[in-house]
Formats: sequence, C-alpha cells, structure tokens
Amino acid sequence: MVKLVVFNMALEDKLKELIVGWDEDGLKELCSTSIESKEAKPSELLKIIGKVMQFIGKQFEDEEIFLPDLIGSANVVKNTIDEILDPAIRKSGESKETLGRIVIGTVEGDVHSIGKDLVGSFLFSNGFEIYNLGEEVPAASFVDKAEEVGAQIIGLSSLVTMTMGFQREVIKELNSRGLRDKYKVIIGGSPTSSEYADEIGADGWADDAIETVLLVKKLLNLN
Amino acid sequence: MKLKRLEVLSNEELISINSASLELLSTLGIKIDSPSARKLLKENGAEINDNDLFVKLPEALIKNKLKEVPNFFRLHGPDGNFNFEVNTTSTQYATIGTPVKIYDPSKKSGVRKTILADTINQIRIVDSLKNINCSHIDVWPNDVDYLSLHAHCIYQWVHNTRKPYGLGCLGRLASQDMMNMASIIVGSDDELIKNARFVGFMNPTSPLYLPQLMTNGLEVFAKYKQPTIIAPEALAGATAPVTLAGLLTQINAEIIGGIVLTQLFNSGAPVFFGTVSTITDMRSGNAALGSIETGLITTAIAQLARFYNIPSRGPGGITDSKVLDVQCGFERLQTLLVAAQAGINYITCAGTFEETLVEALELLVIDDELVDIVKRLLEGIDVSEETIGLDVIKKVVSNPKKGVNYLGEAHTRKFMRKELFIPTLIDRNRRSTWRKKGAKDIIASAGQKVEKILESFSPPKVDREIETKLLDYIKTVEKRTLEDYKIAEGISAGNISLPGIDVKVEDK
Repeated sequence: MVKLVVFNMALEDKLKELIVGWDEDGLKELCSTSIESKEAKPSELLKIIGKVMQFIGKQFEDEEIFLPDLIGSANVVKNTIDEILDPAIRKSGESKETLGRIVIGTVEGDVHSIGKDLVGSFLFSNGFEIYNLGEEVPAASFVDKAEEVGAQIIGLSSLVTMTMGFQREVIKELNSRGLRDKYKVIIGGSPTSSEYADEIGADGWADDAIETVLLVKKLLNLN
Repeated sequence: MKLKRLEVLSNEELISINSASLELLSTLGIKIDSPSARKLLKENGAEINDNDLFVKLPEALIKNKLKEVPNFFRLHGPDGNFNFEVNTTSTQYATIGTPVKIYDPSKKSGVRKTILADTINQIRIVDSLKNINCSHIDVWPNDVDYLSLHAHCIYQWVHNTRKPYGLGCLGRLASQDMMNMASIIVGSDDELIKNARFVGFMNPTSPLYLPQLMTNGLEVFAKYKQPTIIAPEALAGATAPVTLAGLLTQINAEIIGGIVLTQLFNSGAPVFFGTVSTITDMRSGNAALGSIETGLITTAIAQLARFYNIPSRGPGGITDSKVLDVQCGFERLQTLLVAAQAGINYITCAGTFEETLVEALELLVIDDELVDIVKRLLEGIDVSEETIGLDVIKKVVSNPKKGVNYLGEAHTRKFMRKELFIPTLIDRNRRSTWRKKGAKDIIASAGQKVEKILESFSPPKVDREIETKLLDYIKTVEKRTLEDYKIAEGISAGNISLPGIDVKVEDK
C-alpha cells in the first residue's frame, strides 16, 4: 500500500512537471509508455491529471499564476486526453469517470472566445468533461452535441449585447425538440446578468469562471 | 528602445545657468555662518567677509572640488547584506519627508499625530517593499523627546529593517551620535566609512545661505563618507526668482556651495545633487510641491547633475492634497513620472501627502506599485525578431478555428511577465466580480496589504552585546540638556566632551 502511494507520487510529480511546463509531447509519451508498461491504467492517469489540473486551477484562483498559464496547461492536457487517454480507455473497455459532461460555446453571431475558453479550462481543471464547440455556434448544434455526448449541462456565452438574444434561441430549440428538462442551461458573458437568465428561462448565470464551477456543482448536486 | 529621457534645457541653456551660478558664487558669494567652515574656505582660496558672513568662491576652487565628487557609491543596510549602488544612470526609490501626522480614517479629521509605533511600522513596511529601498526619519515620533529622538530612531532602524536609513544633518552633536551608534552596530568606524549606512540631508536655506546647524552636521557626515543630499527647497516667487531659470541659477549656486564644502571637509565624500524646490502658490503663499512646475525644476536639476557628473536626488510621488483623493493620485503619479523620466537617480518622498507633512502607510504600498508602473514605462518597447513574433502571428492567424487567440501560446507565456506589468493593488475586475470581492477602493486594498505585511513581519536579530551598547548610548544622550546641544553647535560658549567628539566653543 505504502509502495503504491510512493509510486503514484512520483508519477504525479512527473505529470505535473510536464503539464505546468506545457510539454505536450512529453506528456503524451509518458502517458503512452505508462499504459504500455502497465505502470498505470488510462483511468488512473486521468485521475492524477485531474488532480494536477485542480492544483493549477487553485493556483489561478489564488492569483498565483496567470490566465495563459492555466489555458496553456489545459490545452496540453486536453490534446493528450483526446489523442492518447480517450482512445486507450475505449480500447481497454474501462469506463471514464467524470463529474459531468458540459457542452459550451459562444452563440451565433458572436466570435468572442476568451471568456468562454477560460470557463472551459476552469471547468475542465475541476474534473468536468468539456465539449467546447467554439464560436458562432448555431442553436441546433448545441443541442445536437449535447444529445451526442450525453451531456448534463449546456453553457452559452455571449460578449456582444446584440448577440445575447441568440442565447434564448438555444432554449427555444430545446423546447421545440421536447428536450428542455433533459439539460440544465447556463449562460454568461459581459452583457448578461442573473436577471437576464431568469428572463430567457435559463437555469443559471455565473459571472466568472470560478463562479461557474460553483454553479455547475450546485446544478448537478455535487456539493 | 528604452523611453527617451525627458529634458527641459538645451546644452547652451545648461552652460548659461552654470555660468550665471558661478558668477553668483564668485562675485556675491554664499552666506555661511559657521566660523570653522568659513576658515576652511579661506584657507582654500575663498574670499570671506566676517561682517556679512558671505564667502566668495573662486571659479577654480569650485571646478576643482566638483571634480572630486564620486559619481557612484553604495548604500548598505545594518548588516551590510542588503545594499545598492547609486550612480548617475540608475534610479533608486526611497521615502523622506517630515510627516508629523498619519492617515487615520477613524478620526474625524482623517489624521492623527504620529508616534514611535508609526515610525516603526513605516520602517517595517519599507523593509518589505520591492522598490522602495531606503527609509529615513520621516514619520516623526511625537511621543519621544526631541533631543534624543535621533538615537531612538537609530535603535529602531537596526531592530526593524535590513535596508539603509537616512537622517537630517541637524547639528554636529546629533550627527556624531548617529555615527557613533552606527559604528556600534556595524562594528567599527572603518566599516562605517568603507560601507555607508546613512543618507544625510542638508537643506541650504534659500536664498544662498548654508545655516550653521546643518553645516555642522554636514561636516560629520562627510568625514564618515556617508552620502549627503544637498537639496534646497526654494520657492519660485518667494525665496527664489519667480522665473524658473532664475530659481535654477540660484539653487544651482546653493547646491554647488554645499558640495564644495563637503569636499573640503573630506575629499571624495559622496553627495547627491539634490532638489525639493518648487513654486509659491500665488494665492496662499504656500509651497506647491504637487505642481507641474516642480517637475520642470526636478528635470532641470537632473540635467545639471549630469552636467557635473554627480548622482541626483529629486522628489516624486508628492502631493499637496489633504485627503487621499484624485488630486493626491494624479499629483503623486505626475511628479513621480516626471522625476523618473528625467533620470533622477534617487527619487524620494514615497508614502506621504499634504506636502510630505502627513504619512499614509497605504500610500507607501501604492507608491511601491506606482514605481513598478514607472519602471515598465522606462523599459519602453523591446523590438527584436522574437518580440515581433511573426511565427506566432502566422500560427495563430492560420488556425482554422474561429475565435482564435494568443492566450495559450508559449510566446505569450514566455513574454507576458516581461512585457506586461501585472498589478496587485490596481483593480481590473468587472464590476460584479469587484463587488463580490468586497467592492474595495485602492486605499482599502492597500490597507489590507499593510496589515498583512505588519502581521507577518519578522524583525532582524540584534546581537546582545550591540543591544547593551546601544541602550547605554541612548541613556547618555538622554542625560543631555538643550544647553549641551547649544554649546556643541557653537550657539553658546562653553565646552562639552562626548564619545567621538570634543567640542570647545568660544563666544562668537
């Protein structure tokens, strides 16, 4: 038992160094060799990486590191999961543990990505599986993706006052397909507010990335 | 390239002011009431008039003495580990002022009298700050007897900071006490002379007068090679001509007069070519330290100091405001920016407001952040193949995804700390986040930082033997009377003997 803890610590330290240092090639290689040599199962690696990302998220929250530090690490981890860990999990037949699946994107007519990407990185570093659809996402695409991946939450971002209205379109789309009760819809972005969320019938509003994590946990009864 | 230096005088104008100042010193002279200083000057070729106490300085003497002034020196903390160089190209930031009150929002007036506990807190805060490298007896301990105040402050200095300290050259007796106590702390006179611990300030009285008390103290500081700031506080329109060129001519002569004297006391003694000169407010007759003209005068002094190849000192971060308001903010940044852009080598007065008469520890930590901003400005824009970053621009722009940005790029991470100043007190949150974090203004945030610094402060250890010697020395100082000081300074006749100093003064 003691031996296992020591081994895990060493692996965690190595993974942390690669993630903090944005060494994507190194991270992918370490994950591949660990799986091949049966040093660690893909699901175990995912757990440790999740822990590292949580540590980085906390550092960001405590203002010890900056936005690019967080986003860069999250990018490196996301690519490693997509290319190495997810395929390995599918191959092994293991089930992937996650706190929840969330589809996020910036609504139609709006090309702004920074706030939405930060929210995505922050949710991801807190153990959620994120499907980031990018920008100018049509209402139907949000719903299609949520259906496809079995999401619990749909997150809608909008920076421009003129595009706020498109957040309502996603809710209308859910209603028209009879899927409104299947998903929690959350919104965010500079011009939005909790009043606006109520007005369009969303389930929640958060004002920054840290708040979003709290909101999502509340909606999924994770507290 | 780095930011270009601010200049307000052309080369021809510098030469004109220099010539006019030298003419003043050689034909009219400067008033010096210390008999020993006058004697020394006479021995070195000056023409003295014992009736009006004016001393005419020949141009050759001035030129020779200015050449003896070092263009760089170091200042050390008590144990010598913390130290920095002052020279004619770099910039250091420090406190200095004469606050007798301190910001206290719990009082109806917003301020209260300063006490020794405030003096200690200010020394501790400066010790903890990144950019403010020297404190001085600024925050006046009103609860300490003024005759032994210097000794108590030096005792607090060694107990509360690792950085150097500054004191006014107010008399030979107090200055000698400072040297004696510093020698106890650093181990010997030789060590003190070799590695300076103190900055002394000597303010000529405008127009053209070097008063006795300060000249006496200047001599002691020069003999121990502790850097002195020769800085007139002339007021354009009241104690100097209203024209800035006239003021500059006069204060240049005052500074040179003081510097010549330091080099006669001890050749090679380090000095700052200094100013706290400003204008007279034409409505009230008050000094207007926060005025834009202070910046013009400070800039010209920086140029004159470079003309003579001597490190300069000027005020920055000063304001005439009585409250921590917008005036307090823009005047402190305006004076700080101009002094830094002008290339002043030692910028002082951090943490003060109301013409440096009031201290706010909150402003002290804000000034530390303002210095970061100023430093960033001075760095200018670095242009190289790597900073132009064609590769990263091409990479990001050609990414087929929508909404691409540079946040996750290695180029961003590599350069963000160098290219962007990231503040700790300035708030850039959105209103909702700011509200959630307590809706604090910058004074409240700074107050929290002050509390945090003071809570976590760990004072330096002082050797038991040094402690005993210092306490004994303070007892000796406390036994003195005002009359002892008067005798020592040559104000009364008599004689007095003290460690390191024997003074016998006859009737003037």
